[in-house]
Amino acid sequence: MKISYEWLKEYVNLSLSPQEVAECLNRIGLMVENISSFEDDTVFEIETYANRPDTLGHLGVARELATLLGLNLKIKKWPLKESPQTTAEIVDISILDPQLCPRYCGLVVRGVKVGPSPEWLRKRIEAVGLRSINNVVDVSNYVCFSLGQPIHTFDLSRLKGNKIKIRRARKGETLRTLEGSTVELSPEMLVIADESTPVALAGIIGGEESGITESTRDVFIESANFDPVSIRLTAKRLGLSTDASYRFERGADPEAAPVAAVMAASLLCEFGGRVSKGLLDVYPAPRKPRSVTLRLKRINELLGVEIDPEFVTRTLSSLGLKLKEQSPGVWVAEIPSFRVDLEREADLIEEVARFYGYDLIPSVVTPAFSFELPVNRTRDRIWRLKEILFHHGFDEVINFSFADPEKETLWQTGFQPIKLQNPISSRLSILRTSLLPGLVENAVWNFNREAEGVHIFEVGNIYYWEDEDLHRESLYLGILSTGLRSGRSWNEPEKETDFFVLKGAVEDILHYLGYLPFSFEQVEHPFFEPGQALQVRVKNEPVGHLGLLNRNLVRQHDLEHPAYAAEINLEELFKNQPRSFKFEPIPRFPGTSRDLSFLVDEHITYQQIHQQLEKLNLPLLERFLIYDRFKGKSLPPGKVSFSVRFYFRHEARTIQAEEVDRIMQEIISQLKSSLNIQLR
Amino acid sequence: MNSLKEKIERCRQFFSELAPQVKDAQGVEELRQQFFSRKKGHLTLLFEEFKTLSPEEKKAYGRELNELKAEIQNRLTELEQKFQEKASERLIDDLTLPGRKLYWGAAHPITLFQREIERIFISMGFSVEEGPEIETDYYNFEALNFPPHHPARDSWDTLYINDKLLLRTHTSPVQIRVMEKKKPPIRIIIPGKVFRRETPDPTHLPMFYQVEGLVVDRGITFAHLKGTLEYFIKALFGEKIRLRFRPSFFPFTEPSAEVDIECIVCGGQDPACRVCGGSGWKEILGAGMVDPQVFKNVSIDPEIYSGWAFGLGIDRTAMFAFQIPEIRQFYENDLRFLRQFNRR
Ligand SMILES: [Zn+2]
Repeated sequence: MKISYEWLKEYVNLSLSPQEVAECLNRIGLMVENISSFEDDTVFEIETYANRPDTLGHLGVARELATLLGLNLKIKKWPLKESPQTTAEIVDISILDPQLCPRYCGLVVRGVKVGPSPEWLRKRIEAVGLRSINNVVDVSNYVCFSLGQPIHTFDLSRLKGNKIKIRRARKGETLRTLEGSTVELSPEMLVIADESTPVALAGIIGGEESGITESTRDVFIESANFDPVSIRLTAKRLGLSTDASYRFERGADPEAAPVAAVMAASLLCEFGGRVSKGLLDVYPAPRKPRSVTLRLKRINELLGVEIDPEFVTRTLSSLGLKLKEQSPGVWVAEIPSFRVDLEREADLIEEVARFYGYDLIPSVVTPAFSFELPVNRTRDRIWRLKEILFHHGFDEVINFSFADPEKETLWQTGFQPIKLQNPISSRLSILRTSLLPGLVENAVWNFNREAEGVHIFEVGNIYYWEDEDLHRESLYLGILSTGLRSGRSWNEPEKETDFFVLKGAVEDILHYLGYLPFSFEQVEHPFFEPGQALQVRVKNEPVGHLGLLNRNLVRQHDLEHPAYAAEINLEELFKNQPRSFKFEPIPRFPGTSRDLSFLVDEHITYQQIHQQLEKLNLPLLERFLIYDRFKGKSLPPGKVSFSVRFYFRHEARTIQAEEVDRIMQEIISQLKSSLNIQLR
Repeated sequence: MNSLKEKIERCRQFFSELAPQVKDAQGVEELRQQFFSRKKGHLTLLFEEFKTLSPEEKKAYGRELNELKAEIQNRLTELEQKFQEKASERLIDDLTLPGRKLYWGAAHPITLFQREIERIFISMGFSVEEGPEIETDYYNFEALNFPPHHPARDSWDTLYINDKLLLRTHTSPVQIRVMEKKKPPIRIIIPGKVFRRETPDPTHLPMFYQVEGLVVDRGITFAHLKGTLEYFIKALFGEKIRLRFRPSFFPFTEPSAEVDIECIVCGGQDPACRVCGGSGWKEILGAGMVDPQVFKNVSIDPEIYSGWAFGLGIDRTAMFAFQIPEIRQFYENDLRFLRQFNRR
């Protein structure tokens, strides 16, 4: 909101430069975001707060400055040139809904010469960024930006039956506004109506029909108070936001209504007007002032500094509070009607702190009287998992949680997506049900920008409806590997990534986090090419998938490279108890190894061989690993060759060659009987 | 005719005398030539002679001669390997070639910055709490003292799922969830994703990261808020950074403050500074003493306990710290952007 330096001077004798005034305003939280000059004036752009409607006029801002600087606020007098006719003889005001309109004041000014504003008024109006329209309209804006109380002026001759009815709109009624648009009214909206039709949308905007024109002679001044929630709902529903609605929805001061009416009338007298006698003031249930108890002890306890009680009373009195000392250091404060934000002791303590100065409050590091053990294991695991992926050369990405429903459908994630009621765009209108579409998009983005390979992962939530009323958000890990893996050295060529790059990363995560035993099972899954997907299992429960992404699917995202991807449900994974770490002594006796190469039917998988070997339960077999697998012309058709190296050790002595031979025989016969292997 | 048998034996001896004298790969090659050269190699000559023998004699010496050949060949191969290994150990042509490198993946800058913030608070005895991203109006607004239909909600423009559910606009709902479950003393920070209904532009996005802190205990004061946040900001931006606290308004704190730090881009020297607009100050976080109404909403007696809270946008702070011009770069995930943070 714009505040004029010269205008402030109408209320307080400022001897400070505009720059100094801005610094003062910042100190008390009226943040000056910008300072500019307008003609011979300086204009401050001030950040406004939803709970401080009193600062939406120059008077309120001046009051804050006066309090900070210890100055008096100048109260202006508004003399009236009255005509003999009383207001009540001219208009009849009735509030039909006192809930939505607690107070309504009216005055009539006859014989106003509508025309351009005088120089001083034009300057004020333009300084705060408004357009000077004519003297009557400018006066109502001047009043609004002085007191923060919006008023409205009607052409009296356009009010049929000289009646003002504040009522709810009737179904089917419409109003053509001053802005020239026609709005459809409904019964939850409050209107100002004459005998028959609405003439203004209460507290928001006037009607064109009853507005001030060049030919207006007699002006009806409305200065009222409206229910903030009702104004806000109506303004939101109609998509209208005006200087009036902005103030009313924050809670205007009912006591300002009569003051503003008189001020406006007084100003209109300067343009030849004569004011009707006696303000018409309809205020069926006058509001009682609030009282709040304030304890000096509490101020000091909350702020952490001893504050002089004299400072407290001086500051709060200057802000318009009436303080009565109940007992030493305890006051009962009567809150002025314009401070809607002051309701509790804490609110008053804030006022004291604001004017005392945050910079004068000492800085003390918060003491800790007890510490708890940090318990967030999940975060530790996630970081460990990320480190494993960094080690494997994967970069971390973070994507939006939003997704494009059209693209998401192609993935057939099997989850019921959560739609947003008011999305930013249709392409961001649901919440993602998988991390992989985002990773594929990242790959495309980077391939389009000179990348030759993209190896990335993301840890984040997916979201879905578990059933109609039950929403779920679930933490997932997505990994993607596509294109070249960067060579490790100048004499090693760059290589295309492959499935085992991805699988190795997944295995390492499970291994190093201790999620054992884990296994993989070949499955079909809509994300992946037929026959090119594995389900990841921990303790035989599925936790995710990996494989070669379905080519048609990734082509829909314009990705042409083969891409390998994994998706792991971390919530499911972390439900497992990781295998606890156990130290084992270093072997004291030497071990030995044997190699075995054999042929087997090509449909036999490594996992089957692995399982058969695990089954044997041989205490002297320390471990085994595959070191070769190939198919080819040199082999009989339909066969594949495996080479496995076995490591043997005896815990308590050097192992004997004959023992090893015996075990090898056992291994061979097991593999022969179960998988029909042929030795090579 | 036992001369061939003798010759075979002599040849074997001769080889075993020569072999140990070989000093390098070249020597191995010379030795090989000495025995296998087409015209006058010792072994070649023996084979020539063998060809001239009668079938009976061939039967008698063939095996021995072939065994010798295999022996010598094996020994030569061994020697060759030995000297090859030694050569690679010692003789590097060009030491200035680059070394073998391992690519270490890059953490996302948001993750990095968040961890830095967490580390500072964990060192002060805070623990990390998290909560759901899909929230109810109660936790996101009402319990935090936002009345229904109040303009205060305008600054927290919300993405709704339905009449009951929304995407949290700040991580503050987690404060409520923690205080409902746990009684003071409480010392937590809450990092996480938050959502606002903002159209993307260089400084706004519909999703970003926040971290909030909350302390609740007996005798907690505004001075504690100041002291702890000052320590935090200095830990993050360096001992010398200047900062200021100024009054502000948030529905869930009373009194409320905003904290500005001096502009590290221009130091307040550039009236046209893109970052601070010439003011020399950059708003970095919001804070305040927990509003008594918030305490009442979670059944904590504000007469016994008090507390402070703060909230900071991780993206914006990281933008400022690293001088990243556009917030959306965080979510474009351009590898040329991400991989720079590898070096942090
Ligand atoms: Zn700057």
